[in-house]
Amino acid sequence: MERHLILEDGTVFSGQGFGAPATTFGEIIFDTATSGYQETITNPIYDGQMIVFAMPVVGADGIHAEAYESTAPTVRGVIVHDLAEVSTNRQRRMNLDRFLQHHNIPGLYEVDTRKLIRHLRETGPQKATIVDVVDDHAVDQLVATVLTNKQVQNTATPKAYANPGHGFHIIVIDFGLKNGILRVLGDYDANVTVLPYTTTVDEVLTLDPDGIILSTGPGNPEDLPDSVLTLIRVLQTKVPLLGIGLGHELLALTNGAALQALPAEYHGMNHPIQEIISQQIFYARQGRGYVIDMDSLDNKKLFVTHRDLVDNSAQGIRLRDYPAFSVQFFPDGAPGPLEANGIFADFFETVADYVQKNN
Amino acid sequence: MYKKITETPVEKVLFIGGGETDFGLQGESDAAIYQVLPILNGLGYTITVVDDNPYSLALESPAATGILKTLTVANIKKIIQDQQIDAVYPLFGGIRAIRLWDQVVAEWRLEDGQIPQSLGLAAADLHQINNGTQLFQRLDEAGLGVTASAVIQTQDEANELLRELELPLVVRAQKPIQGTTRQIVDRLDDFDRVVQQVMDQSLTNEVLIAKAINGLKEISVLVVRDRDGNCLQVGAAEDMDPIGIHTADSLSVAPVLTISDPVMQKMRAQAFLIANMIGLKGVMHVQFAYDEKTGKIYVIKVSPYLDQLANRMAVMTGYPVMLVAAQLAMGIRLTNVYLPNAFHQKTAIMEPVMDHIVVKLPVFPFGDLDASNITVNRQLNSVQKSVGSALGFGRTFVEAMEKAIRSAHFNNRSFSPKYMADVSDDELIQQLIHPQDNRVLLLIEALRRGYEVDELAELTNIDEFYFYQLKRLIEIERSVDQSNKDAQSLRMAKKSGFSDGLIARFWDTDFQEVRQLARSHDVIPTYKALEPSAGEFPEHERQFFATFEEENESEPVDNQSVLIIGPGAFRMGDGVSAGYMTSITLSELHRLDYQTIIMNNNAADSTLLPHLSDKQYLEPLETSDVMSVVDLEKPHAILVPGNRKKLIAALTDLNQNVIVFPKEKHHPARPEAGQSEFCLNFFYDGQTKHPLVILQQRPGESRLLKQKINSDFIDDLDLSSPGLYQVIWRADIDTWVDQVSLPNLTVDTWLRPMPYGHIAYLTKALGMPLGRMVVRAWVDKLNEADRKFLAKMAANHEGASLAMVTSDTDYALHLQPDKSLDMTRFEMGAKLVPFESEQADGEK
Repeated sequence: MERHLILEDGTVFSGQGFGAPATTFGEIIFDTATSGYQETITNPIYDGQMIVFAMPVVGADGIHAEAYESTAPTVRGVIVHDLAEVSTNRQRRMNLDRFLQHHNIPGLYEVDTRKLIRHLRETGPQKATIVDVVDDHAVDQLVATVLTNKQVQNTATPKAYANPGHGFHIIVIDFGLKNGILRVLGDYDANVTVLPYTTTVDEVLTLDPDGIILSTGPGNPEDLPDSVLTLIRVLQTKVPLLGIGLGHELLALTNGAALQALPAEYHGMNHPIQEIISQQIFYARQGRGYVIDMDSLDNKKLFVTHRDLVDNSAQGIRLRDYPAFSVQFFPDGAPGPLEANGIFADFFETVADYVQKNN
Repeated sequence: MYKKITETPVEKVLFIGGGETDFGLQGESDAAIYQVLPILNGLGYTITVVDDNPYSLALESPAATGILKTLTVANIKKIIQDQQIDAVYPLFGGIRAIRLWDQVVAEWRLEDGQIPQSLGLAAADLHQINNGTQLFQRLDEAGLGVTASAVIQTQDEANELLRELELPLVVRAQKPIQGTTRQIVDRLDDFDRVVQQVMDQSLTNEVLIAKAINGLKEISVLVVRDRDGNCLQVGAAEDMDPIGIHTADSLSVAPVLTISDPVMQKMRAQAFLIANMIGLKGVMHVQFAYDEKTGKIYVIKVSPYLDQLANRMAVMTGYPVMLVAAQLAMGIRLTNVYLPNAFHQKTAIMEPVMDHIVVKLPVFPFGDLDASNITVNRQLNSVQKSVGSALGFGRTFVEAMEKAIRSAHFNNRSFSPKYMADVSDDELIQQLIHPQDNRVLLLIEALRRGYEVDELAELTNIDEFYFYQLKRLIEIERSVDQSNKDAQSLRMAKKSGFSDGLIARFWDTDFQEVRQLARSHDVIPTYKALEPSAGEFPEHERQFFATFEEENESEPVDNQSVLIIGPGAFRMGDGVSAGYMTSITLSELHRLDYQTIIMNNNAADSTLLPHLSDKQYLEPLETSDVMSVVDLEKPHAILVPGNRKKLIAALTDLNQNVIVFPKEKHHPARPEAGQSEFCLNFFYDGQTKHPLVILQQRPGESRLLKQKINSDFIDDLDLSSPGLYQVIWRADIDTWVDQVSLPNLTVDTWLRPMPYGHIAYLTKALGMPLGRMVVRAWVDKLNEADRKFLAKMAANHEGASLAMVTSDTDYALHLQPDKSLDMTRFEMGAKLVPFESEQADGEK
């Protein structure tokens, strides 16, 4: 059935509906990666957003048990050019259409996605709605809708849980964690405890962690309560700490840096990232709406370790006085290249040093 | 991993060319070398190119010194000494150039002086690439998946290995005399024979036998790496057919559609690991097999040199693979690669992403051979049978596939639902298991007959995805067939890549009516730019393909433009020469300040190189495709190859200014045994006929006579358009001659435009820019200097000491024909050989 996408600026795109027949509102962004649609759709960082895929055929690999980045997707819409049909079997448990139906998420296909992306690259992300009929009512609804800024609350765990292993005790503070991080920690046989972001210094330190990870997550970090920055401010002085994605933005904010919203967000895995010390470049999945304002960096406190060579944004920072560092990109892949896995190796080396010194 | 390598700077670089074209060698080496010369020259390198291919453009490039010499160890050594070469770059010349350079290195003696640096790969690593077993041992040790294998030298050893590994086995020659061929043995009866045959193909009588992994998915990954270990993935493609069918003979699609992200990331990581292991500076193609059931990945082939995938990926993604790879080989860092202004400044360091689908279809020679009553083995296996390939670009798989099929020039009657009706059910099953060239049509027919997707997937080891796509195609066909010229089904058909002609066939009308209907319903193509950022950045977009969506991105070229219709896929007999002549035409028109627009769908030759034209349309070449571009661009003139009779008629009917490239469908047949064919070549400038030289042709070889000719003989010929022509006659002469008596013009001779192969040959053998002059004549731009040159050209040459020799293609290996093939008519390639010193120069 023909359905429509209305953007806040009044532009309308038409296509065929799939997934759930729901009417939804969200912030629309585009993704240029050619693999990993299931991982992307289920990544909590896209909570409340609609994703346009540049990859013209989506769904050809079905839905896999191994490709979930969270138990349930919370995106508000999926927009593609061509939707592939697949058989379901042992490897492919479900197809994308049924998957979105199941989670009450609408999809649109047969959309001129290239035109839409070329439009969005100029306007930047904006509010959008997927509807059956384009009329004044739909437009008014869109204009009147205030999108939530409580994405972290929506996706982060409200309760602590353990993911036991035999190695170092790593506490993950969950802001909308993607599973890839837990998968890598599993590879290191880490003994993991995931805590809600509302946790306290006391709760964390009582658990006697060997290292702390500030997880990835959705939305604007400045919408989070100040208590989060206070928590990080203390923890970064006590235990080795790694921030990823939103966790990186929070580490920057904690240490006095300011963030800027990007004119057009970047979601993809084809930008070269340079490790400044070695000059070596690699590629990693990125999904970001914010960058650190370089002028606001306090060089006495922290320094930039990585940058994106396309827009020169800071992609990694490190504190000078404490074993705390963070990266904007996703070193766990899922989806995306594995070249940045070394970030975790660095982290575990730091943890090992710390444990040795404190024994 | 990071290691700074200091190297002595190089200045004088020798590029070893790819030599004659053959199965799997369609001119991609020359296209690559030709493309990078101006930039390397601009960066301060002095380049020498050596090749013996008459269709080489690189040899004619003003940006390098071209040396036309047989590719032998002695010649390479001599060039190195004469030109004071300090570095040699063999990787663009492909596996042949690598073997040759490896041999030069092995035979280099102290008294030969300082051995030049080996660019791209150090000589030792290059030696390992040449000897696959050592490399695979290293991969095995590094923990990568490789199939169990061993090298044997006797039948006894082979039999022992057979007991150990069990069938099916892959049998391949070590250090093959020619090409690389793998044969898969799955019947015990064949084993001894194949081992013997392969042993004979090896210089050292060594045979590599490995466990076959038929039925697994085959994936190709293309990466580049710089001297400091920075790696970038250019792209990946998957074959529709499983392992067991040569990758060149399979339908292939990019980007990869049916493989999950974690598996793709593992292959990428392995490709990077291999690049680092061998210290590559440049481009590398790695072929993987993937076992979906066990999750295991095998490395099946490592090609750290230029092959067809590199050229194809450059066209498919818009990433300038060759410009980057050549600079990396020179020791330039990936982050410092220089690109012309036509590219976005970050293009070299951004991994290209595709927002379109490209399907590659092989082009087989069976139809041409059938027409000559030659029967060959059509069953597809691990030995390449296709001679060329065509690409289809679209925004869905169906659209890209349909356009690829049309580009590969299947007759559109093949689409009629009744076409395959004659195949019996038994035959159908047989062919599903033992695929032939009509692979896609057969799969469609099986679906039509009600086979279930899962059943077919099981039987063929083809992913279900493809069967669903083919089912979609059948539904579209059906709905077009059943509809009555309505706008909706027209739009759907056009969106799915159908041509007006094909739709007309369903509706029992002509393409003109379909075209009118489409225009009246506003069903007109929207051209999408092909660029490497998938819309993230505005690029300098010059490459486009048609689809049917909302936004058209192609702005017509404003000045007087010329649209050139490309020759399409490489075919036996005319492929490379057509590509050569098209490229010369583009280059010359550019020099004459025309805005040039090329339409083509063959990525293997140089016709689509970005610097050769102002704009490129990657499209099939049927009338409706051409007319859609004409409607948008309104070109001043359209150049069409002469063999496209229907297209020429249609364009003329539509009042277009058509200039016909004189071109026969095929190379003419060779003279009978014991006979010679003589061609008196002359140039007609529109007023005067200028004789040039007489060419003698005997089976498999052509030479030029020293005999002077005056124009009286041809003065009476009646010609309508300027160009290069030949007067032909045959004589019972079975030796090479210096003089021949002229026949009776009106009785014993016939006239034809000079075949492109001969234009290329005469251009190089006489050192005269004949191709360019003929282009100037076509567009009426011959100048005073040209006319002076023409008047004196017959007197200004001494004949020539270069013969053009048809390649010694191993048809028996590839096609198993039931009778021997006419090597001239079915030429796969040719080389230029000095004939006085033929023995001395010798072959290997």
